[in-house]
Amino acid sequence: MTNLVKPGTAPYLAAFRARAVEAEPHWLSEQRDAALARFAALGFPTRREEAWRFTDLRPLESATFLPAEQGAALAPERLAPWRLDGPTHRLVLVAGRFAPELSEIGPLPEGAWLASTARTLAERPDLARHAFDETDTGGGQPFAALNAALFADGFVLALDEGVALDRPVEIIHYGQAAAPASLHTRSAVLLGARSRATLVESFAGEGAYWTNAVAVVRLGPQSELRHLRLQDEGAAAIHFAAIRATLGRAAQYRSFTLTVGARLSRSDAFVRLDGDTAQCSLDGAFLLRGDREATTATFVDHVAPGCVTRELFKGVVGDRAHGVFLGRIAVRPDAQKSDAHQLNRNLLLSPRAAVDTKPELEILADDVKCSHGATVGDLDEAALFYLRARGIPEEEARRMLIEGFVVDALERIEDRAMRDHFARHLGRWLAGEQR
Amino acid sequence: MLEIRNLHAQIAEGRKILKGIDLAVGAGEVHAIMGPNGSGKSTLAGVLAGRPGYVVSEGSILYEGRDLTPLTPDERARAGIFLAFQYPVEIPGVNNMYFLRAALNAVRRERGEAELDAGQFLKSVRAKLKLLEIEDDLLKRGVNVGFSGGEKKRNEIFQMAMLEPKLALLDETDSGLDIDALRLVAGGINKLRSPERAIVLITHYQRLLDYVEPDRIHVLSDGRFVMSGDKSLAAELEKHGYATFGTAA
Amino acid sequence: MTGSAQTLDQLRALGEGYKYGFVTDIESERAPPGLNEDVVRFISAKKREPQWLLDWRLESYRHWQQMENPNWARLRIAPIDYQAASYYSAPKSDSAPKSLDEVDPELLRTYEKLGIPLRERAALAGVAVDAVFDSVSVATTFKAKLGELGVIFCSFGEAVREHPELIRKYLGSVVPQGDNFFAALNSAVFSDGSFVYVPQGLRCPMELSTYFRINAAKTGQFERTLIVADKGSYVSYLEGCTAPQRDENQLHAAVVELIALEDAEIKYSTVQNWYPGDAEGKGGIYNFVTKRGACRGARAKISWTQVETGSAITWKYPSCILEGDHSVGAFYSVAITNNMQQADTGTKMIHLGRNTSSTILSKGISAGRGQNTYRGLVRIQPKAEGARNYTQCDSLLIGDKCGAHTVPYIEVRNPSARVEHEATTSKISDDQMFYCQQRGLKPEDALSLIVNGFCKEVLKELPMEFAVEAQKLLAVSLEGSVG
Repeated sequence: MTNLVKPGTAPYLAAFRARAVEAEPHWLSEQRDAALARFAALGFPTRREEAWRFTDLRPLESATFLPAEQGAALAPERLAPWRLDGPTHRLVLVAGRFAPELSEIGPLPEGAWLASTARTLAERPDLARHAFDETDTGGGQPFAALNAALFADGFVLALDEGVALDRPVEIIHYGQAAAPASLHTRSAVLLGARSRATLVESFAGEGAYWTNAVAVVRLGPQSELRHLRLQDEGAAAIHFAAIRATLGRAAQYRSFTLTVGARLSRSDAFVRLDGDTAQCSLDGAFLLRGDREATTATFVDHVAPGCVTRELFKGVVGDRAHGVFLGRIAVRPDAQKSDAHQLNRNLLLSPRAAVDTKPELEILADDVKCSHGATVGDLDEAALFYLRARGIPEEEARRMLIEGFVVDALERIEDRAMRDHFARHLGRWLAGEQR
Repeated sequence: MLEIRNLHAQIAEGRKILKGIDLAVGAGEVHAIMGPNGSGKSTLAGVLAGRPGYVVSEGSILYEGRDLTPLTPDERARAGIFLAFQYPVEIPGVNNMYFLRAALNAVRRERGEAELDAGQFLKSVRAKLKLLEIEDDLLKRGVNVGFSGGEKKRNEIFQMAMLEPKLALLDETDSGLDIDALRLVAGGINKLRSPERAIVLITHYQRLLDYVEPDRIHVLSDGRFVMSGDKSLAAELEKHGYATFGTAA
Repeated sequence: MTGSAQTLDQLRALGEGYKYGFVTDIESERAPPGLNEDVVRFISAKKREPQWLLDWRLESYRHWQQMENPNWARLRIAPIDYQAASYYSAPKSDSAPKSLDEVDPELLRTYEKLGIPLRERAALAGVAVDAVFDSVSVATTFKAKLGELGVIFCSFGEAVREHPELIRKYLGSVVPQGDNFFAALNSAVFSDGSFVYVPQGLRCPMELSTYFRINAAKTGQFERTLIVADKGSYVSYLEGCTAPQRDENQLHAAVVELIALEDAEIKYSTVQNWYPGDAEGKGGIYNFVTKRGACRGARAKISWTQVETGSAITWKYPSCILEGDHSVGAFYSVAITNNMQQADTGTKMIHLGRNTSSTILSKGISAGRGQNTYRGLVRIQPKAEGARNYTQCDSLLIGDKCGAHTVPYIEVRNPSARVEHEATTSKISDDQMFYCQQRGLKPEDALSLIVNGFCKEVLKELPMEFAVEAQKLLAVSLEGSVG
């Protein structure tokens, strides 16, 4: 261990040393050590760091979230609110570990792999290795490094060239903690050329746990991934999730993230458009009330020419909540003909609610079409009056307007059944249900 | 049905707009309120519908015998007051059908009627769409979004037909309409005339009155009615303009 | 219009490259290189300042020593040796000039070359000028005439002597001594600058103007401008800058403070044409400037209009603090970076009062290997009921070696606020260029035409005298970026 140890990291370092060492490949043990050293050197971020200047990390720093033990048994009906209708390949992680009794992976076509990360490490280490990259041991992201050091499980979805999954892959992350505990999952989605999948991840749970999920997504040429995420964590939970996606030539990554849960949450998406004419869309909505804080951070890096980015995020922030959007699009010198558009619109519903938004463009090629926009405002008084003048009570009129505000982001989900699924969760939030 | 006595109203920031209005409208009657720009016509409509930003400083408004002023805009609407907006508001993201059904069911609940299910609602909508020659696909869009000026006005009358108010206030519903659209809108209004319903037409020009014949006409100038009479007053105004009343048209 | 016509002639007459790169041969008196408390005392003594101002400088200096060079901007800056520069340089003369006739004729010729109408014969131009040469103010025109109206327009040094009560009241009240590294440095060593006071209810009948010029080698320039518009008054102020062509980088760290009281309006326009360095990035001015205005009363208005074509590096965020209810802030900017120039510029609009509104219009043009960043903050504080902001940032790229960046921060703490931000990045289309050329325009003229069109909304905010000059400057700045 180096002497570069930042304050606050010590309990996590001790927990790392104290953990039961399982039989693991040598490369993995080495990597865990290196990642831990990286975390120790970086420490918890502070507000002086640009990427964290709007985030209040006190809920995370006020307690020590030691890695969670095996979760308690869970009745299957507890998962009902997040289950998708219709047949899926379902994999459930409880307290960060694969729960076979709740999962139903079902028959997979030839050339498809879906299993827990632990099992993948044992049976297909060639695939599991792709769940990591140099960011874990050399990057500037302390929580990703901590995740690489401490992760227990996760999932790996891998498709060979040309394989298409008909059913969606459904991952439910269910957090549990009697005392503060951290759940570090490490996952990978690896799509071969021209393969196709839909992945739906739901995050939920109970207790004061900290989800620290990292997923690495690698999309081969012309492959397509539809990635839908619902962050509906328990009211006492902290949720950090990072996606690191790399897109090959003409690959498509389309993600939608609905954030309604957790007291403190942050979702990071790093998308690297590596192959020409790749396309990515990052859409979503964050709906916050109480004193919740949620950050949506995206960074799309146009490395290759001719790529397209579309981003639309809607924020609805009430009570004393705080919504943050950090959107960055970079176009590298060789990425000519890049086409990027980003829009973040926010509704502030109460005098003590706050929104910070920072859409950012960094353009180093000239033949590009790039734009962004951001707005913050309250409900349109004229529209509210119009609805009320037709007899609709004020509360209902407000709900209709909020729903109307969010709906165009929701419409970015093309699949009708999926859209309805997310619309139900939106409706639940609008009806004031809190978990 | 509607009885206004010595009504004074101002905008919240302080400017007085209505300076003593008296008006009684009975069931089955059609009244027209005319007057130049800035005379207070739209303010009167706004005050009656409860538009935020106006303060009633003096006088009273009785609707079916009860004081209207403490009621919220939606309470007034559910009590049967309908305002056709001069500038119907665009509400992106809120579907027209969804909106209308929410409004209709709110009104029906108030009246103690059963809510309409989707099938019944659709049937009722179809019939009334025809009346105003409104295309089906307009209903699939957001409220008033992407509507032409004429379509917006027709949509207002269509909503009125759906909601079946007791008192309809039509604020400059004729403005911005070409002759065909004007006939259509006027036809819609005439169909909705009934012994149980009172209608107040607010207009700058008398041309709407060629199609919808009012029982009474009132001329508003600088916040007061300066003249009232039967429909012949409209022709009078056509000839001489508002200048006769000391205000520029 | 004599002044601007003259300027135009000179622009036309002058040859290639930077037009103001001449050096004036004047004996100057300067402080020894380096910075310490003694140098601060030396400057203060040279200017025969009162004790309170010396104390203020020393306090600033101590602040500065505790601070670090800011590194958050998207700028690559070679380390600056603050001990190598000289912090005071004044044209040598035995006593301050009492009238223009006593001003060194060499100096007057310099300003004539710059197209600045120092002589009263320039009355037709309708512009009162305060000229700052290196560190000291050399002449202020129309002083007497303005004085009759109650307008104070003089060098900063003179204001300290003649109007100490106003200076003590307002100095540092918008940009505190320790606000940032460069403001602290300026507060310690500022040399001269302009002071303007417009009395209650007066609409200042002429444009007030300052021309800044760095002449001496190995010096920095640290001027300070303070403008106070009393209740219900109006003033339009123009600022121009040039410097000779030198191989080393010279530091310009100015502070401008504007105070608009109730119902007052200040319009501040800048055409910044400091020497940008050569095509390889050698030399040029480091322009690290803190400009900020406070709308202290209800319905006060402050607008910043800037055309930034010069400097090797520009670090500048003219800002508005909207304290008074219904106060209005505006920022209109054109920034060009060509060759190796870098600019990180934008604004801060801090909404404190009710129904305050602000507008930001920024046009960035990058050519050569230039890097151009818009960085702006719009903050709506909890009490700023009904606040409004509209921001439009457009970037234009010319060539594939340059960069254009947009970094807006939007922080909203009041639900009744309405904030809108839009940004676009594009290049000049081949079709546009072809169309113009097909109609007979040379590529550089076509470019200039298109760029001027791109900047039109900002340029129209400039007073006439400046607008024409600014247009020409745009063309000159972009030379060599096509064809």
